[in-house]
Amino acid sequence: MRKLLIMLTPAAIILLAAPFATAQESQQPAPAAVDTAKGLPEWDKVYAVFSHPRCADCHVADDRPRWSGAHYGGTRVHGFNVQRGADGSGFGNPGLRCTTCHFSSNSKALHGPPGAENWHLAPAEMVWFGKSSAEICAQIKDPARNGGRSLQDVALHVRDDKLVAWGWAPGADREPAPGSAEETYTAIENWMAAGAPCPAAQ
Amino acid sequence: MRLTVDGQSFDIDADPEMPLLWALRDLVGKTGPKFGCGIAACGACTVHVDGQPVRSCSLPVGEVSGPITTIEGISAGGKLHPVQQAWLEEQVAQCGYCQAGQIMSAVALLEEVADPSDDDIDNAMGGNLCRCGTYPKIRAAIKKAAALKTAGL
Repeated sequence: MRKLLIMLTPAAIILLAAPFATAQESQQPAPAAVDTAKGLPEWDKVYAVFSHPRCADCHVADDRPRWSGAHYGGTRVHGFNVQRGADGSGFGNPGLRCTTCHFSSNSKALHGPPGAENWHLAPAEMVWFGKSSAEICAQIKDPARNGGRSLQDVALHVRDDKLVAWGWAPGADREPAPGSAEETYTAIENWMAAGAPCPAAQ
Repeated sequence: MRLTVDGQSFDIDADPEMPLLWALRDLVGKTGPKFGCGIAACGACTVHVDGQPVRSCSLPVGEVSGPITTIEGISAGGKLHPVQQAWLEEQVAQCGYCQAGQIMSAVALLEEVADPSDDDIDNAMGGNLCRCGTYPKIRAAIKKAAALKTAGL
């Protein structure tokens, strides 16, 4: 009898689970048909934001944020030996945290420290400074390299995160990221609706 | 607006956007923290808020929500803080203008890293500039302070 139960159990589980599996599958949104003609122009808007120095300068692979702007003669490594931090947190090192200088608001002094809540480097797996449009596009679609997010989560992160929002209001005479948080959110939504196509690798 | 500075409360009348350094020096009377660059680029103005180092020349006083410790508040009962003691023993200061900020960053480092390596020191102190070039003595003093602190001296 015990043997019969053991043999029946897997089948019973499959039979019991089948209706749930069917229900779950029916709730999955149908994947959008890929429309590169519509999708790629939307991605270009997103890439213009993600690759802009106000965003990319803190998505760095070598643990050292960058400074960019007319006064710096291009892009250079952040001064003061500022780094991600020995604990990998992105909030700096003991004795010199990001928040030692970066507070909740932008300094009004020329070359003073910009500020927003929770100032820190992007997580190490979310680095894309210097990467191509195709590379960043593939990365944004990969939860292992986008902070464990769905594309919808990415869109909401861009629209709602206060540190991300700083990129459009960087203070002093810094060049803001193009467009706005809402426009970038809309571009991501439109790109998703077009099947989230990525440009061909160069 | 009420500030707690070096264990004492102070009621001040200040614009919330006034840099904390102005409030400390001009309204509270704590002249230990120094004005250097005014843009958080030299470290002379470093104080602690909630135990964490901040550049008080750039922090709006309205954003301060925790107790403040200045260079004037790290010694207790007439006994120098181990970092101050080490600074004396190593004769770190030349002109001395940056030293209050240097010491406050070193104190913060030792609160988190009891026995710092050269890299730990470089990573903590990179935002504190010294025009006299006392960096080798600063490093030696931090190592001595770590030993003094560990020994409970």
